[in-house]
Amino acid sequence: MSNQSLATSPEEQRALERFYFHEARLLDNRQYQQWLSLVSEQISYLMPSRVNVQVDNRARGNEDMISVERELEDQESMGCPIREETYIHLMVRVERAYKINSWSENPPARTRRIVGNIELMAREGDSFSVLSNFHLYYARPGNEDVIYSGQRRDTLLSQEEGFHIGRREVVMDYANIAMPTLGLLF
Amino acid sequence: MSLRVSELVNEDASLISRRCWSDERVYALEKLGIFGKSWLFLGHESQIKQPGDFVQAYMCETPIILSRGQDGGIYANINSCSHRGLPVCRADHGNTKRFVCPYHNWSYSVEGNLMTIPQETEVVQKPDKSQLGLKRVPRVEAWRGMIFGSFDEAIIPLGDYLGDMRFYLDAFLNRFPQGIEFIGAPHRWVLNANWKLPVENQLGDVNHGAFLHSSIIPKEAQDMIERLGYSVVTTPGHGATFRLMPEDSPIDEMAWGMEGMAGMFGGDEVQNYLREVQAQAAERVGDLRARMKGLTYGIYPNLSFLWSNTSFKVSHPRGPGKVEYWSWSVVPADAPGSIKKTLRTNYSSFFGPAGILEQEDAEVWVQQFIGSNIDFADDRPYYYGLGLGEEKPHAELPGLVSVTANEFYARHFFSRWRDELQAVEEML
Ligand code: FES
Ligand SMILES: [Fe+2]
Repeated sequence: MSNQSLATSPEEQRALERFYFHEARLLDNRQYQQWLSLVSEQISYLMPSRVNVQVDNRARGNEDMISVERELEDQESMGCPIREETYIHLMVRVERAYKINSWSENPPARTRRIVGNIELMAREGDSFSVLSNFHLYYARPGNEDVIYSGQRRDTLLSQEEGFHIGRREVVMDYANIAMPTLGLLF
Repeated sequence: MSLRVSELVNEDASLISRRCWSDERVYALEKLGIFGKSWLFLGHESQIKQPGDFVQAYMCETPIILSRGQDGGIYANINSCSHRGLPVCRADHGNTKRFVCPYHNWSYSVEGNLMTIPQETEVVQKPDKSQLGLKRVPRVEAWRGMIFGSFDEAIIPLGDYLGDMRFYLDAFLNRFPQGIEFIGAPHRWVLNANWKLPVENQLGDVNHGAFLHSSIIPKEAQDMIERLGYSVVTTPGHGATFRLMPEDSPIDEMAWGMEGMAGMFGGDEVQNYLREVQAQAAERVGDLRARMKGLTYGIYPNLSFLWSNTSFKVSHPRGPGKVEYWSWSVVPADAPGSIKKTLRTNYSSFFGPAGILEQEDAEVWVQQFIGSNIDFADDRPYYYGLGLGEEKPHAELPGLVSVTANEFYARHFFSRWRDELQAVEEML
């Protein structure tokens, strides 16, 4: 992927924004079943683990020395990502939300997602590589409120009904995880 | 407040004060009487294979560098500069020749010896560098690749400390011709809870599954756990829970790993591998242990092994009300890379900071801590009396054995805990 986003038309940029804002609203309104219909059944839903790596002294003086990628234990690595999920996992998470004994979300948390910095990085046929950033305010009864901060690296599939999420990699901005769960739908 | 330890845990440990989880003085006694005197888990040899490899670890709140020396030996040193106390190792893991302290650049070898003092040339009296290395953890021993350290020079050997837990650990570890491997850095989850809450959960509280986790664990699976489940205490503070599968069980029901997400949905390659492991189990660990299908284990004070989802966990205290809960995925060392990658999701799907199951556990630990820190309820200690006195020796299984609803694992833990705190009570 080149480091420059594609020059999108206002319509195309608006279509991407419209999708992400709709998705965020569904999730904040706890309409997870409707959200699941935006997800491809072939989805990979990933969250790399992020570690405090040893700085690569041989790379001193250039940007690789402290690159974000070096900190990620992702799907390709022989480390252990925090999440490597399929549609089945997401389905379990969604179904669980509407069961009476899903205790950690019962009563449910209040959330507010702000999604921004939406950049179309590549386009190949119906497949769009899109980056976006998010802040998610999370207020769970009986716990301290927390802010989740991260980046999403998506592959969106353009279909007749609109976009579907074909792949999502969520890069969180934490090594120590001082939050009640990373199991939310980001 | 000056609590007496004898008031915290009653004689048979069936009543336990809320203050055990929330009192500052209790925590100070735990540091002296438990973390200063036990074997504490530091890491696994698979994490430091090459000379110069290191990982960070903790012994209670004390930061430790665990490393492989240039001589191939294992070293554990306190990560704190002899000059002004800064941590000299700042990465979670890596490989190095030297640790260089940021402040004045004193440098240490990977074994912890002080190598250079840059200021030395400018002063007349040269410091004796041989006396100024990092503080070494006085006792370090390994068993089956698992490395432990102790601050107590006089502690019994690690093998004796583990005692009959070795029988139960081997039921898993010896299933694989090359043992196990820890993959990746630990997931480090910081929760507002006391360190003993995750420990107790993993030590033997299998019974909560049917209730807390009923949105996820199917009723049949939970019924099977209750029907075939055993809870064992080998030495007070150590415990194991597992199912003993009937001899005629189909291999897919017997085999470790098949019931996780990776086993269920990971495809033929991983399933055939798991069947293969099970097919050789009797030969490797004997008939009885081949039928063992583990749930959770606890090793006193703060190491847990979640066999069912194949994770080692350490509960590092950060004060009475905070814990840094580390968990690693472990995989058979002999498995091909592609299978290791699939098997790690048996852990991460359900456990760890995003785990579908463990999110409920984390919630109840935080809530139990809150309940342990409220006022006007100190006359209501928690009831730990379920199954009191019902545990018995067993013909084939070492230790005391009972059903999983019996809370004896916790009573034994807290009896030992009380005695070890009492032994140091006068020091504070
Ligand atoms: S504090 Fe480490 S060199 Fe001075
Ligand atoms: Fe649990």
